[in-house]
Amino acid sequence: MVELTRVSANSGASRSRVRSAVPTTAGVVGTAARSLLSRFGAILIRINPFTLFWLLIVAILILPIVLFLAVAFSPRLLDQGTEWFTLSAFAQAVNGQLLLGLLHSLVIGVTTAVASAAVGFLLSWVVLRTNAPGRRIWTGVVFALLLTPSYLIALGWERLVEPNGVLQVLGWDPIWLRDVIYGPVGIVIVLTVKGIPFAFLAISNAMRGLGHEFEDAARVHGGGRIASLRIVLSLLAPAVWSALAIVFAESVSDFGVASTLANDAHFPVATYSLYNAVQAFPVNFPVASAVSWVLLILVVLALLAQSRALRGRSFRVLGGRSRPVLRVQLSRGAKVLCTLALFILLVISLGVPTFGAISASLIDGLGSLAGTHQWTLDNYQRVIVSPDLSQPLLFSAELAAITATVTLVLAVVCARLLANKGGSFGGRILDLVLLAAVALPGIVFAAGYIFAYNLPLTNTLGIHLYGTTALLVLAYLATALPSTSRVLVGTMSQIQESMSHAARVHGNGAIRSWLSIVLPVTARPMLSAWLLTYTATLLELPVSQLLAPPGSLPISVGITSTLAKYDFGGGTAMEVLAILSALAVVGVAYLLFKLIAPAGWRRIGRSA
Amino acid sequence: MIHKSRVAAGAAALTAMVLLAGCTSTQATSLTGSTSTAKVEPLVLYAAEAYDANMGKAFTAKTGIPVKVVDDSTGPLLTKIAAEKNNPQWSLFWADGDTAFSSLDQQGELLSYKPNAPWNAVGKAIVPSDNSYIPTGTTVMAALIYNSAKTTSVPTTYDDLATSAYTGKVGMNDPSQSGPTYPFIAGVMNQLGGQSAGVSDGEAYFTKLKSNGLKVYPTNGDTLHALETGQINYGLIQSSAATGEVVKVKPTSGYAPKIVYLPKSTLLPSVIGIDKAIDKTQQTEAKQFVDYALSPEGQKVMQGADLAGDSLFWPIVDNSTALTQLPAFPADYQRIDPTFWGPLQAQVVTWFDSNIK
Repeated sequence: MVELTRVSANSGASRSRVRSAVPTTAGVVGTAARSLLSRFGAILIRINPFTLFWLLIVAILILPIVLFLAVAFSPRLLDQGTEWFTLSAFAQAVNGQLLLGLLHSLVIGVTTAVASAAVGFLLSWVVLRTNAPGRRIWTGVVFALLLTPSYLIALGWERLVEPNGVLQVLGWDPIWLRDVIYGPVGIVIVLTVKGIPFAFLAISNAMRGLGHEFEDAARVHGGGRIASLRIVLSLLAPAVWSALAIVFAESVSDFGVASTLANDAHFPVATYSLYNAVQAFPVNFPVASAVSWVLLILVVLALLAQSRALRGRSFRVLGGRSRPVLRVQLSRGAKVLCTLALFILLVISLGVPTFGAISASLIDGLGSLAGTHQWTLDNYQRVIVSPDLSQPLLFSAELAAITATVTLVLAVVCARLLANKGGSFGGRILDLVLLAAVALPGIVFAAGYIFAYNLPLTNTLGIHLYGTTALLVLAYLATALPSTSRVLVGTMSQIQESMSHAARVHGNGAIRSWLSIVLPVTARPMLSAWLLTYTATLLELPVSQLLAPPGSLPISVGITSTLAKYDFGGGTAMEVLAILSALAVVGVAYLLFKLIAPAGWRRIGRSA
Repeated sequence: MIHKSRVAAGAAALTAMVLLAGCTSTQATSLTGSTSTAKVEPLVLYAAEAYDANMGKAFTAKTGIPVKVVDDSTGPLLTKIAAEKNNPQWSLFWADGDTAFSSLDQQGELLSYKPNAPWNAVGKAIVPSDNSYIPTGTTVMAALIYNSAKTTSVPTTYDDLATSAYTGKVGMNDPSQSGPTYPFIAGVMNQLGGQSAGVSDGEAYFTKLKSNGLKVYPTNGDTLHALETGQINYGLIQSSAATGEVVKVKPTSGYAPKIVYLPKSTLLPSVIGIDKAIDKTQQTEAKQFVDYALSPEGQKVMQGADLAGDSLFWPIVDNSTALTQLPAFPADYQRIDPTFWGPLQAQVVTWFDSNIK
């Protein structure tokens, strides 16, 4: 540490020497002007990339969101009403039901966020820091969960506990469980299961970067297990808060789970009024926009909590000398307990939706009076040869791969900005925009895209972006960026700048020092971020629905319309095959990383 | 700091490439569009019918006019159309239910067209007086599908469903999630109170059903599932979904679905609207498409696409006959006035959500 500081101090000195040498040669005015010009040019080059970055953020995130939000005040602006300025949309939207829904959403959001972060933290610890049996399967399980649509989780629970459902047919009528699942608790369970992958990826990425030296220090100074756990927890705070924020925002924007599982539980959530406004006719965008403003209040609350918690602390622990961690050797009793807990988690998280998929696509009429109740592969045989599956799947896979690659690059920049200590103004704005993009339901976000990129003005200028694959990719990018950035925040806030400075002083260029210093320590988190984006984009629905170019069908839209035509078996079989294809991509990616990546890249997070 | 900006530059460059690639491809499409045989432009069909893709292909094969289909559920398509309002991108919109079309017409978005079609009596009842949209066939709301293996009581009127024989055994869809369900509720309201009395008599009826244990499931599929599992014995769903279930299911001793139509059945036509904003060439092509959909050949294509669902509609032109799986058209039917009931949708759905669900 001391060495590195000295080196960077030297580097500062050498730079100032170079600078002071320049003016002495400038005797003539013209030369001075030239030098000024070249300096300006240099500044421009230095600023430009960030200006470009912000322009892009404005184009893909801020503009669509702002335009959508503007409709609440000015319907006339986008031809959604007659008035240029009015507050009537708020008067229509804000009523007792919305306020009750808001309260429900807040409770659901907080509970889900805390539950997902807790499970994600414990899971990361067990997988990375103990020798619990079966820990290796969890990276795969997490990606499977990420891919599992919430409708399959909800369907699984319904088929199990519904009246005359599978459990009752098997001889146990789960009356109390049914009441619990068909209501707020069921919503929280499903959304928590959907939140666990985000929490696990965010926290485990950061935990990998946390060497064992801090726990050692705590133990050396007489701290017990609890004390060292406290240290780990507080050093991982940026990642934990990232997980909390993203799961909170995702849960707040949910509509599907609440509307299917708690359909008749009289438990309105805030998004209910919003969907009612945009899916009925005449579509009322001003009211939807007013509800979005209210959702934004929740996001601001979440960000305030986050910035209070992280204020004024440093989390830079990822250096070249992070020490390999020691895995806790669990006693036999602890192993049994741990295995049992993991097994229960596996059953609840992945077992239930798998059961949902089986009941819908593999067993004819399972649990019902109709059908043969026989195992059958009919649905799979039918869809696997169908062009309705292969063409959309290839189309979506291609777009998901492009999106993942571009998102990764942008997310690295975003994560650096978000991780800046103290938080610059730009960083805070970015934080707000990224989280707002998640908290607003996808359909709203996509409608904002249509507002922004289907203006008659842009068409007159010859820009025809709406209805192109390019705009769909940009919207995917905007949809993926918030989660992907947040998954990387934990890692990025750990990187010690001094290492890169040292490399620069030793003569490496900016790119080379980034490749040789930052890339090796962040390679694995970046791989997981790429896979996260790929898998999340492959089955993304609302943006695909509104922005896919006419004539090309993303797989998620194909599946949804198959399901909507009562072909539950075929739709679910398509879904399962799409998930398996993505899991294959995840498997191959990790395998390649293991085989090809230099040993140094794989060192971070290794256990001794 | 410097390497950060390089990364940012890289990111921006990559995105610019994606953008450029997109723009190039658009240009390419528009170029081919304008250079190929002078007067052909592709039609953009927004549709929520199981037969839309087949119809697009068949029409192209017959006329050489390309059709780009955007197939989705009605809800997202309506959102898309509304968001495009200041610069519409669709040429034709095809979906079940005429209330949305009537509303589009009131906003001046539809091109009137009067096809020279041999309408039958039902067809004549549906065609709007200003010809602002064109029906292509009809289903009804609701068909009462019941499990004849579990019950022998068969209702003959809607009032029967509120009696003790049906307590806790009737299910229907949620109008905030199932497109065809609002027309059903509006139909009952129209039948009981009419346009003069408005919604109150209908509200009283659904309140009675609710106190008799009415169950509400999200969509047709969920209500059918409840019937299959014996949670209910009677389901009020769209006629095509009900007929599809009867066609698919082999009756057993536990489950044998049958259908009755209670008076009155509310017409739920599938309807095409032509976008007023398209140019003359596309207008001519769009009218050709409508004519094709109403021709015997087009009707055959529609009937061949989804034998367990959307193809099970009753034709409304004399040159086409219903699929044999369909029963005779319900004798006692009504058309509800979309200009009256359309604007009430948000109010009624919200009332249903807070009082019945």
